Formats: sequence, structure tokens, C-alpha cells
Amino acid sequence: MGKYLLSRLVQTIPVLLGVTILTFSMIHLTPGDPVTIMMGERGATAEDIQRIRDQMGLNDPLPIQFANFFWKVLRGDLGESLRSRRPVIEEIVERIPQTVQLTVAAEILAITLGVTLGIAAAMARTPLLETAVMAFALLGLSMPTFWSGLLFILLFALRLGWLPITSTDTLQGLVLPAATLALPAAAVLARMTRSSLLEVLRQDYIRTARSKGLSNRAVVLRHALKNAFIPVMTIIGLQFGGLLSGAFIVETVFARPGLGRFTINAILARDFPQVQAIVLIIAVIYVGVNLLTDLAYAFLDPRIRYE
Amino acid sequence: MKHKNGAIVIGLLAIASLVLSACATPTPEVVEKVVTQVVKETVIVESTPQVIEKEVTKLVEKVVTATPVSKTGGTWTISISEEPETLDLQKSAMALTASIWRYLGDPLIAKDFNGEYVSGLATSWEASEDGLTWTFTLREGVTFHDGTPLDAAAVVQTFERALDPEINSPIAGSLLGPVESIEVTGDLSFALTLNEPFAPFLENLTDSGRLSILSPAAIEASGKDLGRQPVSTGPWMFKEWVTADHITLVRNPDYNWASEFVHQGPVYIQELIFRIIPEPATAMAAFEAGELSQLSLPASDVQRILDSGLYEMFYYLRKGVGLFMEFNVTAAPFDDVAVREALNYAVDKQTVVDVALEGLGEATYGPLAPSLRGYWDGIVDYAPHYDPAKAAELLDKAGWVLNEATGVREKDGEPLSFVLFNAPISTWESSAQLIQAQLKEAGVSMEIQTFEFGTLLEKLKAGEQQAHLMGYTYATPDIVYLWFHSSNIGSGLTLSHYNNPELDRLIVDSRTVTDWPQRTEIYKDIQKLIVDEALWVPIYTQYYYIAIQSNAADANVHPDGYMILNDAYLTE
Repeated sequence: MGKYLLSRLVQTIPVLLGVTILTFSMIHLTPGDPVTIMMGERGATAEDIQRIRDQMGLNDPLPIQFANFFWKVLRGDLGESLRSRRPVIEEIVERIPQTVQLTVAAEILAITLGVTLGIAAAMARTPLLETAVMAFALLGLSMPTFWSGLLFILLFALRLGWLPITSTDTLQGLVLPAATLALPAAAVLARMTRSSLLEVLRQDYIRTARSKGLSNRAVVLRHALKNAFIPVMTIIGLQFGGLLSGAFIVETVFARPGLGRFTINAILARDFPQVQAIVLIIAVIYVGVNLLTDLAYAFLDPRIRYE
Repeated sequence: MKHKNGAIVIGLLAIASLVLSACATPTPEVVEKVVTQVVKETVIVESTPQVIEKEVTKLVEKVVTATPVSKTGGTWTISISEEPETLDLQKSAMALTASIWRYLGDPLIAKDFNGEYVSGLATSWEASEDGLTWTFTLREGVTFHDGTPLDAAAVVQTFERALDPEINSPIAGSLLGPVESIEVTGDLSFALTLNEPFAPFLENLTDSGRLSILSPAAIEASGKDLGRQPVSTGPWMFKEWVTADHITLVRNPDYNWASEFVHQGPVYIQELIFRIIPEPATAMAAFEAGELSQLSLPASDVQRILDSGLYEMFYYLRKGVGLFMEFNVTAAPFDDVAVREALNYAVDKQTVVDVALEGLGEATYGPLAPSLRGYWDGIVDYAPHYDPAKAAELLDKAGWVLNEATGVREKDGEPLSFVLFNAPISTWESSAQLIQAQLKEAGVSMEIQTFEFGTLLEKLKAGEQQAHLMGYTYATPDIVYLWFHSSNIGSGLTLSHYNNPELDRLIVDSRTVTDWPQRTEIYKDIQKLIVDEALWVPIYTQYYYIAIQSNAADANVHPDGYMILNDAYLTE
């Protein structure tokens, strides 16, 4: 297990390196001179432009620029926002907790709801339950989050008055946005779990276990689930990234001050350093989550550990 | 002498009533008193300001017993759809910042509900013989939120800061006019001298959204962070700004210098929270769920809320043109006035009002809104109306011929197409799409590019656009200076980059002539010239509907178009 962990960690290094290179190139790949884009034609004289180019090191050869960029990133210096002149890392750190809260809550909800429903559908005696679950899955997948979000607000907050709308620091305030975000993810997980479980239940070793006299419950919980869960884990890992980006829409609908709205505003404002920093951080998060997913695999499936 | 007696009588009554109230069931006692005051009024006589002393007899009501249920306390929540770029009122170009500052600061001269000038931080003001030097006497006992006292030196420092080229104030600085010098003449008095008569001067000093006084101690201590933690003298003080979430103001317990048209002493509402909610549907739901005390209603919900009868509603015509398309006259194809004029005939304003505003507004035909003094109502007939045939005729004459295959007009092989810069405001976005469709009918191809508001302003000042959408809120016709004078190109709001000495001259006249009938004539000429040059396609001005939560009482609309909350309180 230790060897596996080490090898996986080492494998993330080229990925992170690639991400850093791409993020760095963003500013050079876009058409036009980066400084002009950033400054606009704000009456910047030729001297101003030269000065800013020097400051930003744009006159050095590319490899050196990249080395500087890389060195700064390692130290946590992701530049200054063009608009507010505050270090971008500060602005991001201010907002990350909100988004992380939302995404984690949504992930937990999605897994709980999705997997449970998937198991229920796979184990269902009657076709009714199975159809119901699959119908729910279809619905959940098809509803756009900005619409389902508003629907939830109207029903649960306004009509029924169960939950608050604009509370951003309480647990209750987290329920509706997390539910909105979790719905499509839960739907996918329900379908995946059901089909994976059905697949596993057809296997010979399950027949063996049953013929050994184990109760249905023990068969499913002790043997089938663990194996059925592997493809589901992949989905969960991939979904996390999707949840992060879905959070952008949900944050706007529910007026939450997280990374999502920050990104949208940064793009609208053409604030390069902010956008670069966000891309880098989100990429790192993706890599981290996928690493965790791989480690979870190894825990679930011993075959993977020993390859 | 009379004042002293009055004070003694009131004092005795106060004590008496306190004693009585301790025994009897407390009911608010209203004591009426007749007071004679000597009031100095500034009257414009034959183009020169004259100061007249009048004896005015006023009936003053004073409530001398406190009601048993304390009105003090509670949180008043307002939703705003964007975030200010800074709360430094001198550096901000957003009307939003000014509207928040109405609660943070105080004006030098206040305007009561009838639009009359009354004392604000200044108790008296007078002009010199030539109308160029204004002397102000400040009220005693005013302190900043940080405890330091307000004196003439602080006011002078604030005004000089507004004029300081380092600060590069987009709006606040120019409100003071052509200032020659400002001098402290006493602990509580100062004199401001202008280069030439400036008609909007007194009016501008009533704008607490832009000319409130900043604490010198805070300017010193905070430096460039002043925009994140402002300090002034107003009824509420700044408490916190959680980025992208909310801005909280908290009651100033030492506030004792309110103007006479609201109650004296500190305000009742303990916390004033501005919640940032970008999505109008969410804000509406939040209001109905009781999470907001006050909401500027989205057009689609006005009828429903009115019909429900559940909430107190106020409405007023926006002080300013809510939406117009403005051309950059230095960029093709809009360097040709014929093209600009043609587009004025190609846009159907009424449709935009009906669709984007759900009919809750009026089509506008010139640079001034009907709610502004100086508006010329003849502009409606003078300006172009929707006439696609006329638009086609003008474009043909200008050499832009329709290419049947593409549906877009062409001249010398170039298509008649442009990019419209826009901001992510919902009514602007829907209007832009409507205009895009209307222009397509005329053979003009328009693309829309959206920028965050602060960035949009920067780009427009730099002249990167061909055309853009914009709106303004301003209480006086002097907006024409801010928006059309050539000195404001690049640094200020002359976003059309139009430079015409004739227009400049008219604008300068409108500010130096102090006699209103004459000024009205000048404004008429200005409006005509702007329409002749087709610098804009004016589109609409809207009605603002404000709904107040059922537990909220005593809020009022000020004539300058904002809610006065000094007397407001929550009933449960």
C-alpha cells in the first residue's frame, strides 16, 4: 500500500507541472500583447508599458519567465489582482471556505442519496420501485441547476418556510444550495450504482457466497458492494470537479460569496492574474481529488494495490 | 433671549413629563411650542445671490416622553445587485456607492421633503457680492465616527482631497465646480472661492452620497484602505464589509445633528445591512420570505406585489435616463453622424420599455430625464422616433447599401457591423438583445460583449468601444457637464469622446448663469444639440418601485430618489 501511495504521488508531479505550464502560457497564448490587454489603452505611454513589462518580467526569455512564475507559485505568490491590487491568493483564500462547504455538503448528499437509491433499485423486488428510482434519476439529470435552485427556493423557503434563502453562514442556509447542486450528481450515482451492483450480483463468486449459506444481506454488504463500488468511485472522483464548477451557478442563484461568483466576476473584468490563479488552484484540487479516489480504489480492491 | 426662554420651558416640561411618566401610564406627550427664529435665506435676485434675513415663526412639535416600547434596535436589510468597487466616495464612479453613503454621511446643506434647502452640517451660508466666494458656518458638537471632532479644517481637507489630481475623482471632485481656493476662516467656518459663478454649487452640496465629510484622522490612518473602512459623521457607521456577501452599517449612538425634517437624536435602526444578491428572483423570494426589509422591485413582480396589498410601496420616476446607447464618435462607423442618426430611427424604444421593463417606464428622447429640472418637453417631438423607412433612407444616403445575400449593409466592401459593450444587469441584457434584433431589421449587425461594471467604465473611458449601453442617476441637469464636456474625455464620463467647443460653451454657460429661466433656455439648446449630433440613442427611464416589509415603519422617499431611514423602525 505504501509503495502504491508513493507511486501515485510521484505520478501527480508531471500532471501538476503540465498544469502550471498551461496556466502560465494562458497569458501568452491569447492574441494581442498581454500588457496592452491588461492596461487597456488607459493612456499608457510607451514608458509605462516598458516599465510594466520589466516589472512583470515580460522582457526575459520565456524559460526564465516560466522559472520565475514557477518559483513564485511554489511560494504561494499568485500575483496581484489588477482591480483591487490585493494579492490574489488572499482573495481566493477568503472565498474558498464557502465553496468548499457547498461542494463537500453536496458531495455527501449526492453520495448518500445516490448510492442508497441505486442499491434500492438494484435490490428491488417490485418493478415499481425500480422505475420510480430511474424516473427520479432522469429528472435529476435533466433539470438545470439555476432552475431547480429557484424552484427549491420557491417551495421550501417561500411556500413552506422551512429554510432560509440568503443565510450564508448557517447550516440551514447550506441545505437548499447543497441539495440543488447534489441533485444531478445523485441521479448519476443512482444509475451507476444500480447497474454496477446488478453486474456484480451476476458474478460466480456471489453465487458461491450464497450457496455457502450467507444471508442476502451479508452477501450484498460484505461482498457485492465493495466490488460494485469501484466504478462508482471513479464517477465520484470525476464528479467532484463537476460539482466545483456547478457551484458557480448555484452560488449566483443563492447569493453565496464563494469562488464561483469570484471567477465569473474575474472573467467579466478580464482580470488576468485572478483568472490564472483560479485555474491553477482548481486544477490542483482536481488532481488532489483524483489522487484520493485512486487511493480509495486501492483500499477497496486489493488487486489494484499489488499491480 | 427668546431662544433661552424656549429652552428653559422645554427643559422644565421635559423634567415634568419624565416625573409624570414615572407614575402614570406612559403615553407619548406631544408638546406644541411656537418659536420665532431668525433665518438667513439665500435668494437669487437679478442673477446675483443676495442674503436676506427673515423672521420666521415656526410651529415646533417636540415629543418629550419616550414611548414605552423602544423603537431602537433591529436590523434593516437592503439588497443590492452588485458590489461597490470602493467605499471611498471620492474615488467611486458608481451610483451604488453614493446610495450607501446617504446613510454613512451628512450633507453640508440638506434638502427637506419639499426640496427646500435647510441646515445640514452647515447652519448658515452666504455668498459674497460677486457671487464667487461662499462662506459657511458649521454646526457645533459634530463628531466623526472615530470620535474626532468635525471642524472647518476637516471639511476643507475633504474638499481639497476631492479636488486632488492624485485622487482622480470621477464625480465628487467636479461637483464643487471651478474652485479657486478653500480657506479655513475660523474653527467652525470656512470660505470657498470659485473662479466663476457656478449655478449648481448649492445643489451639489446637498449630495451626501458624494460630498460627505471624511475624518482626517481616518484618512491619515487608513491611507488607500479608506475605501474598505470609511469614517464620516452620519447616522450609521461602517462596521464590516464581507467581500461579495454584505456590507454592514451600525447605528451611531452619538448622532445628534440630524436635519430638522427628521427626528433629532440617533436613529432607531441598529443595523443596516446591504446584502449582495445578484439574481433578482432570489432577492424577490428573500423579500417575500421576510429576509429583506426593503426591495427595489424587479419589473416583472411589481403588479403582483401591488395586488397582494401586503407591503407598503413607494414609487418614483428615476432621476436620470435609465438606459441609452451611446456612440464613440471617434470610432468607425460612428464617426459619421448620419449613421448615428439612422440608428436613432431604427430603434423602437416603446418595445424595449414594454418587454424589458414590463411597461413600467417611459421612452426617453434626449439626454435629460423628464424628472430633472431643465428638461425640455419639446424634445419628444424634436427627436427621432421609430421609423425604419427613414433609417433605411439615411443609411442608403450615407453609402451603406444592403447586401441581399447577408442581410447586412455594406460600404466599400466593409459590412455595417459593430460590437456593443454592455454590463451584466438583467434589464440591460434583455434590452441589448431587443436592440440587436431591431438593428438586424435595418441591416446593421451588432455583437454584444459583456464586462463587469467597473471594468466596463475603464474601457469606455479609454475609448475601446464603438458603442455601449449605459444609464445614469443624477439629481440635477448639471449631468450634462459630467457627461458631455470635453474636459471629461478619458478621465471622466464623457464616454462618447465628443469634443465640440460649441457644446462646451453652452455647458459652461449653463453652470455660470444663475437665473433659472435663462438656464432653462440654455439647457434646451444643449438638449437640441445633443440630439442633432445623435451622440446617443436614448431609450427609457424607469419607475422605481420600492416595497417595504410589513414589520417596517416610517420609511420615506426623499425627493432626490432614495429612502430616508432616519425615522424608520421595526415593529417586531
